[in-house]
Amino acid sequence: MSDVQTSLAFRANAARAIKDAPMRAAMRQAADTFGAKRADAFASVADLEALRDRASALRLQVLDRLQEYEEMFASRATRAGATVHRAKDASSAREIIARILADRGAKTVVKSKSMVSEEIHLNAHLEKEGLTVLETDLGEYIIQLVGETPSHIIVPAIHKNRQQVGRLFAEKLGVEYTEDPQVLTKIARRTIREKFLTADAGLSGANFAAAASGSLVLFTNEGNGRMVTTVPPLHIAILSLEKMIPSLADLPTFIRLLPRSATGQSITSYVSVITGTRKPGEATGAKELHIVLLDNGRTEILSGECREILKCIRCGACMNVCPVYRTVGGHSYGWTYPGPMGIILTTLLTGMAKSHPLVDASTLCGACVEVCPVHIPLVDLFLRLRERRVREGFSRPMEKRGMRVFGKAAASPSLFSAGQYLSRTFWPLVRALGGKDVAGRLPRPAKVPFHRRVP
Amino acid sequence: MTSPELVRRFLTNAGNAAAGTHAVSDAAGLRRVLSGIVSRTVPAFCPGLTDKEKAATPSLACRAADYAGAKATVEEVYGAIAETGSLVCVSSGGRAVQAGLLPAHHVAIVASERIFAALDDCFASFAEGPPTNITLVTGPSRTADIELTLAIGVHGPEKLDIIVFSSEPCSDA
Repeated sequence: MSDVQTSLAFRANAARAIKDAPMRAAMRQAADTFGAKRADAFASVADLEALRDRASALRLQVLDRLQEYEEMFASRATRAGATVHRAKDASSAREIIARILADRGAKTVVKSKSMVSEEIHLNAHLEKEGLTVLETDLGEYIIQLVGETPSHIIVPAIHKNRQQVGRLFAEKLGVEYTEDPQVLTKIARRTIREKFLTADAGLSGANFAAAASGSLVLFTNEGNGRMVTTVPPLHIAILSLEKMIPSLADLPTFIRLLPRSATGQSITSYVSVITGTRKPGEATGAKELHIVLLDNGRTEILSGECREILKCIRCGACMNVCPVYRTVGGHSYGWTYPGPMGIILTTLLTGMAKSHPLVDASTLCGACVEVCPVHIPLVDLFLRLRERRVREGFSRPMEKRGMRVFGKAAASPSLFSAGQYLSRTFWPLVRALGGKDVAGRLPRPAKVPFHRRVP
Repeated sequence: MTSPELVRRFLTNAGNAAAGTHAVSDAAGLRRVLSGIVSRTVPAFCPGLTDKEKAATPSLACRAADYAGAKATVEEVYGAIAETGSLVCVSSGGRAVQAGLLPAHHVAIVASERIFAALDDCFASFAEGPPTNITLVTGPSRTADIELTLAIGVHGPEKLDIIVFSSEPCSDA
């Protein structure tokens, strides 16, 4: 798997993925487990709807005044000792980070999971610059060893089973084969611990940024996020603009929603709030903290008809319940973000020309809307993107012609009846010509139309 | 004064997150619990800064000079949250928050009057500006990255023990 976007090949990717039995078994298991755990976790929340409404309102409040919050965050973080950088796009973010590391002579970087860093293909760039970048989240570590990309935003190696991980560790780390997740986890702990202690820099993302205090907030379970942000002398955090929340007073709302929606935990093992650098007399925190605020298309999305996707807090609940994601897996979508939120972000961030087949990757069943903790109207956004695909001329010529004919027929009863007659008469031919395509799978038209059967 | 109900709720939720939970009401009780959970041969780090940490040190037979070489850390933490069963560890007062991260065993002492009912109460206590690092710790380090099978003790502690210290006999608030 490479950094090249393959969203245009979504249909082919999906057809291939459907034949991958171990992947599909893993996906089913993940989706079912998370679904059940999520329901359990929310059972202890008194008024879930009020909580979702509040979270959604807070996220909209930020989006409505994003620039203001961004400036407030930058000034408060600077006052607390951080250096704030603004990156307009992926390449400027990569260069800023590479420059910070090069200026300090850093050679080794330990990294905790960051989807934004995947979005800008940061690792590949830093490796090209001669740096050693080690992913320390267990799932990310596994896929880094194989050279793949994440297939789920919360559980990156969800598509690998324990036998595959066991063989991988035996081959790459020279340890004895085991398929016991407990033992495999301990092996990773041992291997990565040394690197934490000797790394020149730590690189992390952030789940939220509290504007009023200039704080970064990270939710983690393994403890690697804490290591990356406190052990090395230099910490670089990269986050996209929309991660802002007004203040730490709003954090409880998101603590109650994010882990429950993501993994069904009532809280992750660790929630870290980092405000600036280590001050004189303190013994915690990086001596130098650089925060890279990445736009990479967000400002443009903000002014468009799909702006509500920027409310997303990256919990992954929408993918766990999506019948398409569950069947085709994360890699089929061909870019960083899979599943329902991924379809929308990919289309908006990379452009319709590079991603238009993705907007079909939904049954519009609305399961994603039902679980979204911040009330993103995902189905409405799919429909807007489908309209946009037609407007921008990316729909298939046959589909366009067909729709035009159907539109005319549906507006005229006589034409419609004629069409019904033709479809009954020529159905065997359509089916034969359609072959394996959609036309070939159309159901046989009724001999007597429904409206004539009902008195 | 903290109600016994709040202490109970905190200990229940912390226990549900796989932390070991203990309650004591005096220094002797604290030392008794410690000698039961920290083996005499394990190098244990204790900052020894607060009264409760000073009271704890006699029970640590093998004391490590700093957390880097320790197998266990015994420390008093800033507070706790009943709603989630979390510890609140902060960097104020020159504390190394990572002392509770690197060693395999983390033993946290919480004064009962420092237990907040809800997350909101905890964050309200930082209204004047948060310290460099606030970490909410709920249970030991964990992952489910391999086939969603829970494994305890990834990069952080594999064992977390919490000792609630109620200096006054508990009475209903």
